[in-house]
Amino acid sequence: MYHDNADRMYRFAQRLCGEEEDARDLVQETFLNAYRGLPQFRGDAQFSTWLYRIASRLCLAMRRRRKGEPEHELSIEQFIPTSDGELHLQIAADGLTPEQALANKQLRRALRHAIQELPAKYRLVLVLRDMEGLSAKEVGTVMGLNERAVKSRLHRARLFVRRELTARGIGAASLSAEKDA
Amino acid sequence: MSRRENSRQVAKNHVTRNTPQRHRHSKAGCVKILQRLSAYLDDELTADVCKEVRAHMGACPTCEIFLDSLRQTISLCRHFEASPLSPSKKLQLRREIQKAISRA
Repeated sequence: MYHDNADRMYRFAQRLCGEEEDARDLVQETFLNAYRGLPQFRGDAQFSTWLYRIASRLCLAMRRRRKGEPEHELSIEQFIPTSDGELHLQIAADGLTPEQALANKQLRRALRHAIQELPAKYRLVLVLRDMEGLSAKEVGTVMGLNERAVKSRLHRARLFVRRELTARGIGAASLSAEKDA
Repeated sequence: MSRRENSRQVAKNHVTRNTPQRHRHSKAGCVKILQRLSAYLDDELTADVCKEVRAHMGACPTCEIFLDSLRQTISLCRHFEASPLSPSKKLQLRREIQKAISRA
């Protein structure tokens, strides 16, 4: 169980927690809970999906215990574009691939920060769907949500991250400068 | 041209005129479109609704820019790699888990 899933769960935990120590704690707790709950695993979902579910619940519980953790609802209205346009994220226009763009430390840091700023229930959906590559249906199984709810949370999470990135002014010029350096 | 290619073409068009312009219509139309952008980028909309989104993009440079940046955001998330677990840390973590299990 550990050998086949440790890498996947560590990657997931890192994306969720941001910090290595928190990620290690989450992985440890996930496998401990999985070991204890193994007799209850019915096999009606993939084993990895079951582990994701355990880790997700633990993550939500950990965040609830922490003071100051933002756990508010995100509304579509708060992401309405301004009439002046607030966009500076023009990576495609400069012909950079996502890999090239992510070689930029400033952008990586901003993206990590934006994901960490998301309320946990939105962050989980974004990480599972857009980073771990699960389908909306699989995310629903992990989170105990229907697909409609998954897609609604995912959309808000994406809008939030987009706004955070553009608000920090990560522009094509700075990305190109680092690329050329 | 597929819906995905169409939506990419809209983004390319905006790159050539990347100076944001002011809205000339009510924000209600933008909100309606904004609610559908993830579904649009994930190819989950019907052909009719896609057409509606593209028509709005053609008339609203702000939303067009917004769409492009949302696409880039999703792409960055999909390509954002996490640091791998080194073999030594993997072994150490396994020992810690085994120790915790034996204590339980």
